[in-house]
Amino acid sequence: MNNILLLEDLPEIRTWLKVLIKGVFADSQIHEAARVHDALGLVGAVKFNLALVDLGLPDGSGVDVVAALREQQPECQSVVVTIHDDDDHLFPALQAGAFGYLLKEQARELIAEQLKRMSQGEPPLSPSIARRVISHFASQTQRQERPQNMPHVALTDRENEVLLRVAKGYTLPEIGVQLNLSRHTIADYVKQIYRKLNVSSRAEAALEAQRLGLFRRA
Amino acid sequence: MPAHRLPLAAALRRLCVGAVVGLLVLAGQAPVWAAPVQVITSALASRSNADQFPVDQPGETVTLPDDWEDSQPRYEGSLWYRTRFDLAASPEPDELLALYIERVCTNVEVHLNGRRIFSGGRMTEPVARNCLYPQLVTLPAALLRERGNVLDLHVVGHALQRVTSRQRAAGLSALKIGPYAVLEAEHASRTFWNISSVKLVSTALAVLGCVMIALGWMQRREAYLGYFGWLSLAWSLMSLRLWLRDMPWDNGVIEFLFCTGFAPVVALAVQYLLSYVGLRSRWVENALAVQWLLLPATLLLAGPTHLFAMASAWYLLLTVELFGAVGLHLYVIWRRRRSEFWPMAVPLAAAAAMVLAELAAQHDLVALPRVQWLHFAVPILFLGVTARLLQVFARTLLAAEDGRSTLEVRVKEITAEIERNFATLAELRVEQVTEKERKRIAADLHDDLGAKLLTIVHTSDNERISTLAREALEEMRLSVRGLTGKPMRLADALADWRAETVSRLGQANIEADWRGPAEDVDQLLPARGFVQTTRILREAVSNIIKHSGASHCKVRCAISEREFGLIVQDNGKGIPMELDGKLDRGHGMSSMKHRAKQMQGQCLVESGPGYGTVIRLTLPL
Repeated sequence: MNNILLLEDLPEIRTWLKVLIKGVFADSQIHEAARVHDALGLVGAVKFNLALVDLGLPDGSGVDVVAALREQQPECQSVVVTIHDDDDHLFPALQAGAFGYLLKEQARELIAEQLKRMSQGEPPLSPSIARRVISHFASQTQRQERPQNMPHVALTDRENEVLLRVAKGYTLPEIGVQLNLSRHTIADYVKQIYRKLNVSSRAEAALEAQRLGLFRRA
Repeated sequence: MPAHRLPLAAALRRLCVGAVVGLLVLAGQAPVWAAPVQVITSALASRSNADQFPVDQPGETVTLPDDWEDSQPRYEGSLWYRTRFDLAASPEPDELLALYIERVCTNVEVHLNGRRIFSGGRMTEPVARNCLYPQLVTLPAALLRERGNVLDLHVVGHALQRVTSRQRAAGLSALKIGPYAVLEAEHASRTFWNISSVKLVSTALAVLGCVMIALGWMQRREAYLGYFGWLSLAWSLMSLRLWLRDMPWDNGVIEFLFCTGFAPVVALAVQYLLSYVGLRSRWVENALAVQWLLLPATLLLAGPTHLFAMASAWYLLLTVELFGAVGLHLYVIWRRRRSEFWPMAVPLAAAAAMVLAELAAQHDLVALPRVQWLHFAVPILFLGVTARLLQVFARTLLAAEDGRSTLEVRVKEITAEIERNFATLAELRVEQVTEKERKRIAADLHDDLGAKLLTIVHTSDNERISTLAREALEEMRLSVRGLTGKPMRLADALADWRAETVSRLGQANIEADWRGPAEDVDQLLPARGFVQTTRILREAVSNIIKHSGASHCKVRCAISEREFGLIVQDNGKGIPMELDGKLDRGHGMSSMKHRAKQMQGQCLVESGPGYGTVIRLTLPL
C-alpha cells in the first residue's frame, strides 16, 4: 500500500483516520483531501492503491470520486467511510465501484480490522445490501433490451446462493460452514458480486444515457 | 211473465226490420218505391240580363252539360236556360220533389212556372262563387203542375279566358228532377268530396303546418321542417277559396290572387325537396324568388282576358320545376339512403300522376273529373309526409336524447376519474413533501449532530464519554430511520437482527444459536417498530456481552397472525437482585420495557443468580 487517498471534510476525523491508516499500513503515503474537487484533482495526478472516501462532502458526493477512480484507476480499491449506515446511501457508492464500507463511529480496533480484511480482499456484505443487489440483478434479467457492446452480467449459482444466505441474515463465516467453503472462497464470491454489480450498473447507466440520447450509437 | 216477454219480442222484431231497412237504404241509393229521376239534357239558351226568361228574344237549343267555352265562346255575363218537364207517375203522390244541379258556374237562380224559387247568392259582381258547390233545389208542390212545368235557370258566369282554371269557367251540368231523398243523397256525397273533405284535411294540414313551422323554428339546422310547414300552411290557405263563396273582390282579382299563390307553393315544395336531401343552391333560391315576382307581373301584363292562357303556361312551367325537384330528390335518396327511397317515391309518384291528370284536364285533353281529387288528395299526401317527418324528427330526438344521456354518464365517469386522480395526486404530493422534509431533517441531523458526535467519539480521551457519544450516534441514526424509513418486511428485519446479533456475539466469543420461523413471512413491520425492536435487541445483546459472562446465547423468534415474539436466553450468571427485590436498573431493563410498552407490547425479564437470563419480548403486528 503505497499511495492512499483520504477524502474527509472533518479535520479531526481526518486526522484520526490518518493515524488509524498509519497503524494498519505503516509504509503508506497518505494524500488528504477535504473536497470532491480536490480529490478528483489528486485522482488525475497520483496513482492510488487504496482510497477512503467520505460520502457527504461540502461540494458534492464522494460517489463521484469512487466512479472516477473506477474509471481511471481500476486497480485502486475504493472504500466508503461514512456516518450513514443505510443502504440508500451505500448502494450507489457500491454501484459506482466501491469495494466495501466502514462506519466511522466504530471503535478504532474494529475499523482497523475491517480495513485490513478489505485490503486482503475480504469486503463486508450486510443483509440489506445483499437484498438490494438481488433486486438489482432481478430487474436486470427482466429487462428485455440491452445496449449493444455491453456484456450481460449475471451472477453464478454459487454467488446467488451466497447472496441469498446473506440476505437471510447469515454471516459470511456461517455461510462458509454451511456451504463447506473456505473463508477465502466466500470472500472471492463477495468480491465478484461487487464487481458484477459495478459492471452491470455501468451498463445500466449507459443504457439509460442511450435512451435519453446522450450519445449516438456508433 | 209472458206479459213481459211479448213486448220484448216485438221490440226485437222491430229492431231487426229497422236494421234491414236501414241497410237497404244504405245499400241502394234509390229506394225501390221512389219515383224515377228525370235527367234533362237539353235546354233553350238565351243571352239576357233580364229578370225573366226573355220570351221575345230568339234562343238556341243547347245540350246539357253545356260548357260556355263550347256553346258561347268568350261570352261573359248572364244566360237564361228554359226547359220543360212533366211529373212522372209516382207511387206516392205527396212525395217531395227536388231539382239537383251537379255543377253550375258561377252562380244560378231558379224559376219554376214563372216564380223564382231559388238563388245561389249574389248575381252581380262580386258574384257568389258556386262552381264547386252542387245545388239542390226543393220544388214547391204548390207550383208544380201535372204536365208542362216550365223551369227557367238564370246563370251568370265567366269566360274561360278570364279564369285561371277550367273548373271555374262558366257552364251548366245536366239537370236532375226526382224525389228529394234520392237527390239529397247525391248532393250530400258530392258536397262531401268536393267541399267538406277538403275543409277537413286542409284544417288539419294548417294545424300540422304550424307545428312544423314551430319545430323548424326550434331546429334551425333542419331547414326542411320549416319549408314543409310553410308549404302545408300555404296549401291550406289556397284551399280556403274552395269554401269561401262570397269574397269582397270581383272575379279578376280573385283569379289573380289564386294563381299568384302557386308561385310560393311551388317554391316551398322545391326548397323542401332539395333541403330534405341536403342540397342547397343560392341560384335556385334566387330563381324561385324572381319567379314569385314574375308570375303576378306577367298575369297583370296579360290582362283579365288572357288570364287562362298565361296561367296555363305558368302551370306548365311550375310543374316542370316541381318534377325536376322531385327527380333530384329521389335520385339523391336512391344514392344515399336507399331504405327511404320507396316510402318517398310512392307518394311523390302519386302526387305527380295527379298533377299530370289535372294538367291534362286544364288543357281539355280529358274531361274534368267529377270530384276534385287534387284538392283533397294532395293535403292527404301532405299529412302523410308530415307524419313521416315527425316520425323521423322524433327518432332523431330520441337518438339525441340517448346520445346525451350516454354522454352525461361518460362525463360523470370521467369527472369521477379525474377527481380520483386528483385525490391520489394530492396524496402523493403530500407524501412527497413529507418525505422530502423528513430527508432534509435526517440529512441535517447526520451532517450536524452526527459530525459533532463523531468528533467526540474519536477525540475524547474519556472512554466513557466516547462510548456514550457512540451510543448517541447510533440512537440518532435509528431515530432518523424511524423518521424516514418505510415499513419493511418482517423477514428482512429478522435477517438484519440476526446478522447483527450473531456477528456481535461471535466477536465476543459467545456461541449464538438463532432460530427463526422456518417459512418466509410476509407481514410488514413499521419503521418505528423495527427501530425500537432493534434497540431492545441491541441492549439485550450488549448486556449479555458486557455483564452476563455467558458462553452461549439462544434466540428464538415466533410469528403469528397478530404478533411476533423474541426470546433471548443466555447461560450467564443472571442479573443480581438488589435489596428492594427489583432487577438492576443499570442493565437498561426499564428502558427495554418502556420501549416495548410504547409499541403496545411487553418485555418480560426472568433472571436469577446462576440461572442465566431470559428476555421475552412480545409485540403486536
